[in-house]
Amino acid sequence: MNRALPEMLNCMNAPGTFLAGNCTDMTVLERQRARMKWHLHEHNDPIQLHQQQQGYNFSGNELSGVFSVPIPAGQAQGFMGLVCGDSAVKPDPCSENRWAELGYGSCGLVVNNNGAAGFEEMINGRNNNSNISRTFSCPPTVAAEKKSNDAVLSQKISLPTGKESFKKRKADKVQSNKAVAAEDDSTEKRMKGCAEEGDSKITEQTSTKNNTNNDRESSGDTSKDNSKASEVQKPDYIHVRARRGQATDSHSLAERVRREKISERMKYLQDLVPGCNKITGKAGMLDEIINYVQSLQRQVEFLSMKLAAVNPRLDFNIDDLFAKEMFPACAANFPTIGMSSEMTNSAYVQFNPVQQMVSSCGLDMGINSSDLALRRTISAPVSIPETFLDTSCFTQAPPTAIWDADLQNLFNVEFQQGRTTPFQSQPFTGSIEASNLKMEM
Amino acid sequence: MRNSTSLKQEFLKKWIKGLQVCNSSSEKKMTIMERKKAIKMSADIAMASTRNGTTCWSRAVIANSTQSNRVVVERILGPHKPSRSVSMVMHKKILKKSRRVCSSRSRRVLMRKRDVAKTRSIAKRLVWKKTRVLKSLVPGGEFMEDEMCLIAETLDYIVSLRAQVDVMRCLATTTEFINGK
Repeated sequence: MNRALPEMLNCMNAPGTFLAGNCTDMTVLERQRARMKWHLHEHNDPIQLHQQQQGYNFSGNELSGVFSVPIPAGQAQGFMGLVCGDSAVKPDPCSENRWAELGYGSCGLVVNNNGAAGFEEMINGRNNNSNISRTFSCPPTVAAEKKSNDAVLSQKISLPTGKESFKKRKADKVQSNKAVAAEDDSTEKRMKGCAEEGDSKITEQTSTKNNTNNDRESSGDTSKDNSKASEVQKPDYIHVRARRGQATDSHSLAERVRREKISERMKYLQDLVPGCNKITGKAGMLDEIINYVQSLQRQVEFLSMKLAAVNPRLDFNIDDLFAKEMFPACAANFPTIGMSSEMTNSAYVQFNPVQQMVSSCGLDMGINSSDLALRRTISAPVSIPETFLDTSCFTQAPPTAIWDADLQNLFNVEFQQGRTTPFQSQPFTGSIEASNLKMEM
Repeated sequence: MRNSTSLKQEFLKKWIKGLQVCNSSSEKKMTIMERKKAIKMSADIAMASTRNGTTCWSRAVIANSTQSNRVVVERILGPHKPSRSVSMVMHKKILKKSRRVCSSRSRRVLMRKRDVAKTRSIAKRLVWKKTRVLKSLVPGGEFMEDEMCLIAETLDYIVSLRAQVDVMRCLATTTEFINGK
């Protein structure tokens, strides 16, 4: 709770439109929270808020400082660097998994699409709703969709990824059942039994349309479950639909599917490459990707150079020993270490619990799409209040636990380092050489 | 379901093994550039071997480094060596053949593409150029005709490069810390 406070304060800096926007449909919990925020707002002007925040930062700094005293500054910095890298890499688990699934075979694709579809749904549905429902609703939807893989497969391709699909869906709705039937006839060779699916889809669409508020999610789920019952026994063909005016011969259909897949992967790349999500257009994205790959390759070059300079004998035996002890702990705690030293970084404070959430999500539950959603909300500066809403509902329960884990991890590392220091008496001669080498360089 | 942590650990294990092999294979004192080369090579091979030959780029990396340094590759690839080496030979054969085919085909493709590019918009050409640059960056990318394949490989390559950079940075900082103390 203590940590949630500055979060709140922080969020007050964000435009008040957030309150105005969300006041229309809020649950009791949110309303309460909003009232609290108003209360705070009355008492503190922004500058004070800022100061308070800074003070908080400092305390955080001290806190982490207390525990990292035995670690020298250089090491701390090293960890910071490590952390920076890692914070950038944090999306790894999910993206990688997604990737791996994406890469090989259609089943992977299905699982993938689960995440995508869930996410898409989240985006589509509740523009004016709070984020809580999004994040909460996400795991169940994913689960539900995982259960109905076939259903998702067929649904998915009919709604190509992204927001525009929603519009398209709307357009489809306007075109109504007749169009659907006609389309089905035209592409019947490929997709038998499409009419059924189309019907169920339409019911789902209408249901999602009708329920404009919070309960939309649940009803969508139920309708999906209903449709699942009818769609479970579908064979594993790819379901492609052509809209009115689009070519229906097999070549162009295949081409369309291919293009959709490419754009989907491009989207994953966009998520993966930092600073790429603002760029539209394929050329710009490719540019960014090229730059990123080049920079990574250069980093590898540089690091190998550095290692060569530091280690005069190319002998990592000591490090091996040390790695065996240190790395499991260190590697396992990468994200959490990242958190704690990000505490010192004032810019990150406001996102801190969110990221912890992300990390814990990624580690414990491995829910890809919720992870993704959180990242999305983090990356967008406008959505700070939303993230706040996210965190505030979560931080009530787990923060102490997370903190404890954090500190424990820190202790762990420290302890490991303490243990490894006895082994470090040997390389001293080597270090002198290394410094000489450095001088030569 | 592999997360980045296990990937990093596997990479580190293999990398260190490769470094030891490098170290033991060369008795004389190496210069800094040689050391750098060895470190980079072993890191690359280790990174590629974590993929178990499921991706094109990792196979390309391994195939490229097999020419220069067979010992390290075989050591890092470890117990699966016999079957792997057979498949590697097959793969190389295919590669050679495809290279021949590619060279004859790519000329034709190039000609056709040039004609098309004249008529089409500049943006398309730009994308194509950039795709070519990307192909030159990703190992084994020259043989990826399909754009989808290229993008997928790029994704995987980026993920593993990141893991590599992370581990290397970690090791660099820790060794620096040890030596500087």
